[in-house]
Amino acid sequence: MEVNNMEMEAKTQESSQSPSGLIILWREIVRDKLALVSLIFLVLITTFVYGIALFLDQSEIIKVDLFAIHEPPSKEFWLGTDYGGRDVFGQLIIGTRNSLSIGILVTLMTGVIAIVFGLVAGYFGGAVDNILMRILDFFMVLPFLMIVIVFVSIVPKYSILSFSLIMTAFLWMGKARLFRAKALQESELDYVQAARTLGTPSIKIMFTHVFPNIYSIIIVAMTLALANNIGLESGLSFLGFGFPESTPSLGTLMSYARNPQTLEYRWWIWLPAAILILLIMLSIRNVGEALKRATDARQRRG
Amino acid sequence: MAFLEIKDLKVHFPIKGGIFGRTVDHIKAVDGVSLAVEKGMTYGLVGESGSGKTTTGRAVLGLNKVTDGKIIYNGRDITSLRGSKLDYRKDIQMIFQDPYSSLNPKKRVLDIVSEPLKNYEKLSRQEIKKRVQELLELVGLSPESIVKYPHQFSGGQRQRIGVARAIALKPKIIIADEPVSALDVSVQAQVLNFMQDIQSELDLTYIFISHDLGVIKHMCDHIGIMYRGRYVEEGTTEAIFNDPQHIYTKRLVAAIPDINPRNREKQLHFRQEVETEYEQSYNDYFDEDGLAFQLQTISDKHSVALPERS
Amino acid sequence: MWKFTVRRMLIMIPQLILLSLLIFIMAQMMPGDALTGLIDPSVDPETIEQQREKLGLNEPWHVQYADWVSGAVQGDFGQSFRFKMPVTDLMMERMINTFWLSLVTLIITYIISIPLGITSGRYNDTWADQAITSYTYIGFATPLFIFALVMLWIFGFYFGWFPTGGSVKPGLEPGTFEYILSRFNHLLLPAISMSLIATVSTVQYLRNDIIDTKQKDFIITARSKGAPESRVYNRHILRNSLLPIAAFFGYELTGLIGGTVFVETIFSYPGMGQLFIESITLRDYSVVTATTLLFGVAAVLGTLISDIILSIVDPRIRIK
Repeated sequence: MEVNNMEMEAKTQESSQSPSGLIILWREIVRDKLALVSLIFLVLITTFVYGIALFLDQSEIIKVDLFAIHEPPSKEFWLGTDYGGRDVFGQLIIGTRNSLSIGILVTLMTGVIAIVFGLVAGYFGGAVDNILMRILDFFMVLPFLMIVIVFVSIVPKYSILSFSLIMTAFLWMGKARLFRAKALQESELDYVQAARTLGTPSIKIMFTHVFPNIYSIIIVAMTLALANNIGLESGLSFLGFGFPESTPSLGTLMSYARNPQTLEYRWWIWLPAAILILLIMLSIRNVGEALKRATDARQRRG
Repeated sequence: MAFLEIKDLKVHFPIKGGIFGRTVDHIKAVDGVSLAVEKGMTYGLVGESGSGKTTTGRAVLGLNKVTDGKIIYNGRDITSLRGSKLDYRKDIQMIFQDPYSSLNPKKRVLDIVSEPLKNYEKLSRQEIKKRVQELLELVGLSPESIVKYPHQFSGGQRQRIGVARAIALKPKIIIADEPVSALDVSVQAQVLNFMQDIQSELDLTYIFISHDLGVIKHMCDHIGIMYRGRYVEEGTTEAIFNDPQHIYTKRLVAAIPDINPRNREKQLHFRQEVETEYEQSYNDYFDEDGLAFQLQTISDKHSVALPERS
Repeated sequence: MWKFTVRRMLIMIPQLILLSLLIFIMAQMMPGDALTGLIDPSVDPETIEQQREKLGLNEPWHVQYADWVSGAVQGDFGQSFRFKMPVTDLMMERMINTFWLSLVTLIITYIISIPLGITSGRYNDTWADQAITSYTYIGFATPLFIFALVMLWIFGFYFGWFPTGGSVKPGLEPGTFEYILSRFNHLLLPAISMSLIATVSTVQYLRNDIIDTKQKDFIITARSKGAPESRVYNRHILRNSLLPIAAFFGYELTGLIGGTVFVETIFSYPGMGQLFIESITLRDYSVVTATTLLFGVAAVLGTLISDIILSIVDPRIRIK
């Protein structure tokens, strides 16, 4: 009885926080100075690159200028030029924007798949869950990088959209597995059973009962996935199987470093992009980790 | 014809095993239970945890799949209705054991109580709000509570919210699964009495599931005692408490504490007597698997599970 | 335990079939077929048609699939049109290179991660733990290819301590001590780069596990019985925490597959990953198909091995 009461109390405390989930997430970020600085940095860089990119002419930046090949940084070219005489600084801005955009797009698309998959598998359980999990297991063991590279190189009419679709097709599994576990946990609670006896249709139970209760975990997972996806895009572009050179991204700038001459002597082309990728990924992770703590009452600082 | 009738209900859960995950055996959670409830009455299901009482209740609601047997509500077989034929659900509602997990923590009281209304009745927002407020008043909560979240209430109040939600559709039958066992003893009586008030007010039929014989005695007209998925004894409350026939029932009844301290010595003695009888005659009351026998009618108000020979 | 092992292996069979089907479909989508690598384009169409018939390229897809699979099982992956040699021969040497690279990487990973994890877990919330935690934190956020590039830039080019490409210094006699030393020297920097990133998840796992175990009742009991701290760690905590780590190596293998593609490309190390990128750039598709299939099978096997070892080490997993 004693134990039971304590459990109950613990539950009350937990749930007394949960309605204002978003506020807790926000509070945790503000308490964590590093996360706050990271968030500010992210907001600034995002507004900056999206803002500036409006005034930059992409076709002008990617135009080859044979008289300005491999210029070191100067007043005219703040970060020098690449082998086509193209301004690295301009490419960096447009590249950051493109990298962020595709990162966000892929994260959202994988997120939607993972949410639907997780909710359906977790809510229905049983045979449905079993079949879905077998499918997921299969996708899990695929050598992600190689399959994506092969698809990128054989898909007809390759475009940014098909690139993000290919990435999405092989990137939803981790999140789906997590959401399914949470949805399963949640679906066993009485309020879900109650909703069934009250005649609420399954779809509605999934999205109006279960979903709001795993919402904060979804946000955390998506934040951390965003960092990973930006890293993956730059990695693929670095190998030459992501963005084409005509659409600069942080990864295409990095790919110039595959030329040993550029790597050794012309740091200004690839190093800024490398630093930027690192900073962006670290900052997103900082925010994500703070959010993660917020969803776990034991670790919360605020 | 009884209002709700369960005929030889069986609910078996498969045990998966082996290399291919085939079904190797079954857990017989409910194994041949029959009961009949009259309108406006309270039927108590008693048993230790794992005896199948909750599974029986959930099977009536369609939350557990029925392996075999029939559930007849108001003359209609509802055992395996699906989809649009689930309209009977409106008439049979449930009160859950745990008032903490049975209310969605992310929803306001208004949304929680109005959920069944939105599912079955086309009402405007204003009408819904009015109905919810009426319901809350009926269960003894202030109408202002509608904007609050479940965590802002005590356990007893939460259980009242659960009741308000269950009666929103004016059901005929309510299955109450240990509705007070998660509550402090001081609040239990309050909630029980309130449930009785509502019962007479709305002419409800209860199936009351509990392991607490004191609560059952207080609430029920009719009792079925379950042990490992089967009935061991069934009858009116009077018959069960005053004239228990099965050794398992005797033991349960003997275990009810007596408030009068002067009877302590007598009680202890009585209990020891029952215990000895239990140990000696166990094999007479249970078959070789330790399960109860078929019910034998001993009077029109009383049946006991005894072996054929007696 | 046997039940789990057999069941787990049975799950693997449909996985392998699906994997091979997927790769077969991808191969069909690739421009050109097995013939492209064999004959020069000037031959007249009729002869080509005859050749196609002979090679079974006009058969229905499932016959072709069966042919391809039975070939692959026997180690016949067709011809590389680029190198004009059997794909299997081409891959042999590369595979050995990648094997050594992976092995050294795994060894370094365990050499680094176990002491760091133990230190971090045992002395948690000290400065040493904070330093290690910061390392894992940054390591998690750092893409391998950037880290490897920076390592190459600093230690390969700037300091010149390591060779910047290849697998061995040209002109050395295979089998000599110098030859082996040179090979080791060539794979050291790529291996270190990969390990330093691969190690972070192991360090973090070990740290969390030790901190968790520290507070368990049986540890508190051991302490309260007066067992010395070192004994508590060596006999009780480490035994519990290190075994799963050993089991992870199959999962590590899966992670390494992606890693080798980047690292071998960056360090121009002639292994399977580099071969894959090279042949896809050169549109040498029979090689692409073969390498993808091999990496896929390696990933499936790696997961299988880890799952089985883990089920022996941690019986709770078997319940599922």
